[in-house]
Amino acid sequence: MSDIPERELPPVPPVVAAEQLAAGGEVAVGAAPGGIPGQDRSERIKRVVVYVLLFFVSLLFFIPFFWSVTTSLKTLPESVGFNLLPSNPSLRAYREALTTYDFKSYFLNSVFLATGVTIFNLFLSSLGGYAFARLRFPGREVLFFLVLGTLMIPNELRLVPVFQMLIDFPVVHTQLLGTYQGYFIINLVTATSLFLMRQYFLTIPRDYEEAAKLDGAGYFKTYWRVMLPLAGPALAAVTILTFQGTWNDFFWPLIIFLGDESKYTLPLGIFQFRTQFYTQWPELMAASVIAIVPIALIYVFFQRYFVAGVTAAGVKG
Amino acid sequence: MATVAKKRGTTLGRESVREALVGYAFVFLPIASFLIFFMYPLGYAAYISFFDWGALGKIESVGLGNYRELSHDFLFGKALKNTLRYAVIVVPSQMALGLLLAVIVNNALRFRTFFRAAFYFPAIAGSIAITAVATYILSADGLLNALISAITGETYDHSWFGESDTALQSIMALNIWTTSGTMMLFYLASLQSIPTDVYEAAAIDGAGAWRTFWKVTFPLLKPAHFFVAVVSVIGALQVFDQAFFVSGGGGGPNYSTMTIVLYLYNTAIEGARFGYASAIGIVLFAIIATLTLIQRLLFGRAEVA
Repeated sequence: MSDIPERELPPVPPVVAAEQLAAGGEVAVGAAPGGIPGQDRSERIKRVVVYVLLFFVSLLFFIPFFWSVTTSLKTLPESVGFNLLPSNPSLRAYREALTTYDFKSYFLNSVFLATGVTIFNLFLSSLGGYAFARLRFPGREVLFFLVLGTLMIPNELRLVPVFQMLIDFPVVHTQLLGTYQGYFIINLVTATSLFLMRQYFLTIPRDYEEAAKLDGAGYFKTYWRVMLPLAGPALAAVTILTFQGTWNDFFWPLIIFLGDESKYTLPLGIFQFRTQFYTQWPELMAASVIAIVPIALIYVFFQRYFVAGVTAAGVKG
Repeated sequence: MATVAKKRGTTLGRESVREALVGYAFVFLPIASFLIFFMYPLGYAAYISFFDWGALGKIESVGLGNYRELSHDFLFGKALKNTLRYAVIVVPSQMALGLLLAVIVNNALRFRTFFRAAFYFPAIAGSIAITAVATYILSADGLLNALISAITGETYDHSWFGESDTALQSIMALNIWTTSGTMMLFYLASLQSIPTDVYEAAAIDGAGAWRTFWKVTFPLLKPAHFFVAVVSVIGALQVFDQAFFVSGGGGGPNYSTMTIVLYLYNTAIEGARFGYASAIGIVLFAIIATLTLIQRLLFGRAEVA
């Protein structure tokens, strides 16, 4: 056990703590002040008022989404002013957006990039995370410090150097600006994913690996057959964090793909549509709904990993 | 253990060499990618910030000229002022709203999972999609004006993003709303780590809920306040997507939505003034690095996350 200095271990491994939180946090129910049993009538009325208020507040959080969905089902004249529901709901705006305005290809590009970046991230961050958590090699601490250091470097600072590199990649002299490869190569793995995987591997008992070692498994086989299957929650968090981040990314697609519409992602497509067809609200809302719904679905089904990922990732906020 | 292993003989020694080699192989791609696309850009940007550097490369060395020019560049001043104004409003609002929401869902409520999901929902949608929705709701004939007209009885057709006196404020409101859910999650993680006996002690002393919050909970959240503040400030200083979207990239109307990063983007991509743009990037990096280091040194990363 001497290979991992004590000070490096966080008091509570982030993913685990966040997971408890995501699971509903039994602990906190007891911790909350108030809620004495045998409350009288005024107490009960107060409770009802609180819940009504809370539902109203959550409604406020939902109204913009509700509004974009209903508008996407309206006609253009209906989209102006205050018409709560479309009188004649139709999917016309979606059809228009997908066929006339190419949102189908923007959608496919978004799926392609987000899936690709997520796969690269999953593999490289788990492989690297395993090495940083378990394998002993000189310079490990320094290299890990370098990984954490990258978290401090803002995207904007990288803009000029990365832009120049993509125009004419050093040594090989290839132009990667405007290509999918260009987007992939600068997004192979994030420090956040790697950090998350390493922290999770540190919490797995060594017995599993010892058993694998006795069976004569090598390092890669141990990683692939033993460690990866045990790291489900961390892998899920990395998947969601990376997929969502790439899906919503505007900055790098703007820099890499601007001008070549065939490679636009949904955010770029929405921006372009907005500048060209200023007030085509139903189509614009349909496009926005297309961009939001996939992430919303992932969120609904994998909420606990979502919360775990965001809380553990921290700086990404 | 490692030293013992070395003395034991060659088999174990060879094994540890093998382990080290495998270790390097496993971290090779991530480390290479961080060196090439993060560390090298940092050095490169710092280097060319001392040059007049165009699309075709080095033009001439200007020493601190770029930084000096920044200090009396009208547009940069405007961008800096806008970004600071933005941060001064958005950071405390996000923190207060995030804390309030966290305290609400930390209670023994029914439907707490639903509430938490509702409050966090705006944070998961992409900045561009949500800004598109906002431009619609805040347009001259949009929902907000329709509501104002209905309440006041007079026709109201103010274009919130289109007029220079409300454009930046509208972006502020938009981002306070979308990111307070993330701040809520950070606060919630911290709230749940407060041991129950602290509350029991407060209850024994006869402190009410309000007093308990201000005298017990709020001070105990100090590391969380600091962490959330730093995350929020860093996010605020980097505001770009929303400003780019509502102004079509130009920072209008009347430069009211020109932010530091938007100016950096325009200087680099539109103006091809790479050296000057890098100087802007270095200034931003210096601010962010200082804030992050202070936070790490004072509280460490894992305490909140």
